[in-house]
Amino acid sequence: MPKVARLHAILWGVFSLGGFIAAFLLPVSIYLVGIAYPLGLWPMAGGDPTSAILNHHHIGTLFLFVTVAGSLYHGIFRFQSTLTELGLAPAKRALEAIGYMIIIVGILVVAYSLLLLNPGVLSLP
Amino acid sequence: MIREWTSFFVAVFSLIYIYELSLFASGAKDSALALMRNPGIIAFNVLALLFTLYHAFTWFYLIGKVQPIKMGKTTSKPWQALLVNIALLLIISYAVIQILVLR
Repeated sequence: MPKVARLHAILWGVFSLGGFIAAFLLPVSIYLVGIAYPLGLWPMAGGDPTSAILNHHHIGTLFLFVTVAGSLYHGIFRFQSTLTELGLAPAKRALEAIGYMIIIVGILVVAYSLLLLNPGVLSLP
Repeated sequence: MIREWTSFFVAVFSLIYIYELSLFASGAKDSALALMRNPGIIAFNVLALLFTLYHAFTWFYLIGKVQPIKMGKTTSKPWQALLVNIALLLIISYAVIQILVLR
């Protein structure tokens, strides 16, 4: 398989994995962080969900990283290809470059933020 | 086409949450929480949840269509994959709440 085709297959594979993450883990995250906390609905009476999740150290940190990074990759990857299907095909290369830049910067920011919030995450259990 | 637009909500929610996490990490926890209490953000999140659920259900249906499971002489139907995966989604969501929030 040519190198470009292999890279393409890997990128679509990660996209598919991100689709599973967005389907199974993102709805509950949106509910907890974006709806239950600000509106005071079950189970967020009082505390905020991000602190509660991070209190579970490694598993909470891993959950946040996988959910946010996977969903970001899936969302941006699909959205930039949607834009090319909507008539922005001539700008395909530029859209891809912007899309991958947002994905890389976003994943680095989330990894760095979680590392600051839970510095022990890299140590062995 | 609606399915394609779900990716917009998935991406934007992820970016908002990354910004919130970076505020948490820089010590501006109050600003992060105030951001999530903003009425505009709450309205967006309600829409994002609806679109994400639409994404999930259509994704589950697609799995059943692309990869049907053969059991003896019968082959699974897409709606069966949809139902099984919706049940799985509910179990996973409940487990996340129980393990990461309530415990």
